[in-house]
Amino acid sequence: MNATKQIMLDEWRYWQRTKLATTVIFIGVVLTLASVVVNTIEVRQAADERKHFQQVSESRFLEQPDRHPHRMVHYGHYVFRAPSPLSMIEPGVDAYTGTSIFLEGHRQNSATFADQRQSSGLTRFSSLSPAFLMQVLVPLLMILVGYACITREKEAGTLNIMLTQGVKKREVLTGKFLALVGSGLLVLLPLALASIWASVTGESIIVTTGFVVGYFLYILIWGAIVLWVSTFSSRKNTSFASLICLWIALCILIPRISSSTAASIVPSPGKLEADFAVLEELRKLGDGHNASDPAFNQLKANLLAKHNVNDIADLPVNFRGVVAEYSEEKLTKVLNQFAEIRMQEEVSQAEIARHFGWLSPTVSIRTFSMMMAGTNLETHHRFLREAEALRYEFIQSLNHVHQHKLDYHTDINRYRDDVVARVDAGNWNILSSFSFEPQPGMARLHQSLLYSLQLLFWCIVTLLLIKRASRRMEQ
Amino acid sequence: MPDQVVAASSLCVKLAQNDVIDNLNFTIGRGEVFALLGGNGAGKSTTLKTFLGAVSPSSGTASVMGLSVDADINTIRSKVAYLPESVMLYGHLTGIENIEYFLSLAGIKQAQPEIEEALTKVSLQTDAWHKNLSHYSKGMRQKTAIALALLREAPVLLLDEPTSGLDPRAIDEFNQLITTLANSGSTIFMVTHDVYGACQVAHRIGLLDKGKIVGMFERKNNAHIDIEEVHAAFSQGKIK
Ligand SMILES: Nc1ncnc2c1ncn2[C@@H]1O[C@H](COP(=O)(O)OP(=O)(O)OP(=O)(O)O)[C@@H](O)[C@H]1O
Ligand SMILES: [Mg+2]
Repeated sequence: MNATKQIMLDEWRYWQRTKLATTVIFIGVVLTLASVVVNTIEVRQAADERKHFQQVSESRFLEQPDRHPHRMVHYGHYVFRAPSPLSMIEPGVDAYTGTSIFLEGHRQNSATFADQRQSSGLTRFSSLSPAFLMQVLVPLLMILVGYACITREKEAGTLNIMLTQGVKKREVLTGKFLALVGSGLLVLLPLALASIWASVTGESIIVTTGFVVGYFLYILIWGAIVLWVSTFSSRKNTSFASLICLWIALCILIPRISSSTAASIVPSPGKLEADFAVLEELRKLGDGHNASDPAFNQLKANLLAKHNVNDIADLPVNFRGVVAEYSEEKLTKVLNQFAEIRMQEEVSQAEIARHFGWLSPTVSIRTFSMMMAGTNLETHHRFLREAEALRYEFIQSLNHVHQHKLDYHTDINRYRDDVVARVDAGNWNILSSFSFEPQPGMARLHQSLLYSLQLLFWCIVTLLLIKRASRRMEQ
Repeated sequence: MPDQVVAASSLCVKLAQNDVIDNLNFTIGRGEVFALLGGNGAGKSTTLKTFLGAVSPSSGTASVMGLSVDADINTIRSKVAYLPESVMLYGHLTGIENIEYFLSLAGIKQAQPEIEEALTKVSLQTDAWHKNLSHYSKGMRQKTAIALALLREAPVLLLDEPTSGLDPRAIDEFNQLITTLANSGSTIFMVTHDVYGACQVAHRIGLLDKGKIVGMFERKNNAHIDIEEVHAAFSQGKIK
């Protein structure tokens, strides 16, 4: 145990004296720290902006004068979801999907204001999220720091001297491993602090702890990979070259391959193609603005029969409003059906891609990190569904106003100069507040179980590899 | 000799299919200085390494203090101080730091004065003590490594060409040091091709050629082994 500690301390002293390693670690720490700070500010700012935007659009909606209710259907308003506290570390899919949606009649808008599209100037730095740095850059830093940790001693012959002092191979390897992991932990420190901050600002402690533990495991894994290669290589150069190849494969190639494989296994139609398909379906429904569209004949007949009248003018409700409500319902059904198909495709693709975590620890930690931070695809989909439910409710309440508060006769003569086809502005008070709740910590932990297993799997595999390499470590 | 501290029995070592050590038999007793003398490539270093577990016997046994290298190498290593053929210590550490570090690996915590005393014994100049080893000459590194081996206070010393690179004065001092250590009970097994040095300190000399012991010389009546005799045998063996 004492020898292990001495070897670890000496490795650190070596890094200090040779400067290279300390410089690399310093850069790593500064980079993560800067990225945590910039991202926190950025996320906060964006959240405040969106909140403000939502409030403005809401009050503007409420301030609208007396109007025809259907004008308000097209006027629409915004909802947005507050960023999860950990999204400052792990923006996940939010960076691409956006977190605000414009709600209006007859349309399902996709989420807007993705960070990637907004970025400019300082904010461009935020695409270097702390999570990305930890997942891709930290392994590289650990390689630079540690590729020679054993080969250096082999080449210089000092490994033999160590062993002839009665030190066991296991102690040498453990000492070097701890030194390496220590360097990784220094870089993890800013992220751990940010996670603590996240739990202060309302994130569940289970989640933040799990999050940090996940990254800790990831550092263990890379420490073990670096040590393993350094143990079985006989020269520094081969050790470095092998590690760089491994890094490219595990951190760059396999994550890319995972998404392209997923896309080829579950092909998704292009945006344009999908839009045409939706339009095709919608055309069959008839135009909700035109009450005399033959598509609504059946509706008309049923309604007349129900109220036992012969003319729509005699109905107790505004038939144009009824048509608007009816067609919105039909249209929403079609839109939802397509949206569900698209989301299903996205989830199936994501799930295939996530299985590549068995081939690369970078994929495992990426999935785990997003799941824990609540910036995963499923959470985004939940937001889309909840926002859509809200949109439907909001549009249908306006259509309800249309049916009951606006007389049919006035409505059909709305373009005549002497007719005022409007309802009272008091009717606009229909917006229900939207708040998107993150999933409880336990639920997120539960969803991440498979991916924490992947990380554990990697820990075990790399430790076994070291064990094997140490057995044939040349003396 | 009293008890056998170091023993080789029918020891053979194969390296890359070659018989590097071929049926070696010898024992070294407590307090004895045994020198294995041989030309380049005779198998001297390999023999020493066998006792450290750095090379495995292909047959026969090598043992230290009754422990076999096959079974108890870690215990053996804790009882043995080894001076390698080419000294390999850390260039980024000073002489004193190197000694402190390797001693700590052996689980020994020596105070600074003891280390300085050892460095004085091997006559390493004082102004070098706190300089990085990368600035040392070959002889200075050799002295540092000898100091380290001494400080291990191990009952058994395995020395691979300990005087190579040392100046004549340092060689004399070293020879004296070895004699003192042996008198105080240390067992010393050294390999060398320095006939003069071996005759100065060794109680017995084994002549090694192509992995075989081809001659044994012993002190008679406490007088040094006859250098002429050894030299003649050594040169002959080499011509043969
Ligand atoms: N790792 C190895 N693989 C194959 N052959 C080896 C190996 N190490 C040494 N040998 C061979 O074993 C023989 C003995 O080598 P050894 O180093 O023991 O000689 P030595 O007596 O110490 O020589 P020197 O006086 O030059 O130090 C040599 O012929 C050498 O080529
Ligand atoms: Mg040799």
